[in-house]
Amino acid sequence: MSSQRDLAGDVFGALSDPTRRALLSSLAQHPAATATELAADLPISRQAVVKHLGALADAGLLDRERSGREVRYRVTPAPLSEAVGWMADVGAQWDDRLATLSRQLGGARAAGGAHRGEIPR
Amino acid sequence: MTDRVERELELPVAPESVWDAITGDGWLADEVDLELRPGGDAQFRSGQEVREGWVEEALAPSRLAFWWASDGEPASRVELTIERRDQGSSLRVVETRPLDVLDLVGVPLPGLGGARRSFGPALVAA
Repeated sequence: MSSQRDLAGDVFGALSDPTRRALLSSLAQHPAATATELAADLPISRQAVVKHLGALADAGLLDRERSGREVRYRVTPAPLSEAVGWMADVGAQWDDRLATLSRQLGGARAAGGAHRGEIPR
Repeated sequence: MTDRVERELELPVAPESVWDAITGDGWLADEVDLELRPGGDAQFRSGQEVREGWVEEALAPSRLAFWWASDGEPASRVELTIERRDQGSSLRVVETRPLDVLDLVGVPLPGLGGARRSFGPALVAA
């Protein structure tokens, strides 16, 4: 299970960084942009942009497509919004249920998270 | 891709008490009707909301895995694992929606019911 998580990355983790959110938003407006093009609009290096794009792609939020010497990136918006919505709803329901159980049985120390994983094929 | 939510909670009571609380009325839903055996029916009712499903595995007091879905919604799988700890128990919850696995093996997506036996092996493989 944890290796599945490691391989997959984490949608929420990927979105926790403001630079990555800016990149996603920029890519939504300029589909199929390259790292060089994206870096031109941001106060960080192309190398840093590539690293952030890699994290977003690992979390399943971007598709990569090789084009000559460059890689072009595209947002994969439908699964993103649907998956994030599902995980937020379902996560909130479990938080409620666990809080109820905790009150009933006197528990402590809840932990957890939601993430999107890839099934090895 | 699999959508997945995971939570863990520690409780100062024995696994048996946790098991009774999580399988009884009032926790998973106001009214819980679980046939605690593999393939058993499951129904969860809270007011107007009804979820139906089936039990994949029930091993008191340590493991309960089941599938559930509201009417017309895709089914998801819930796995509840209870472990004994020095100070009581831990309860781990994992809810997943592994639709692509079912797609992969060419099984119709579960509106539950009759499809259950045919997609069983695919779930084990997942």
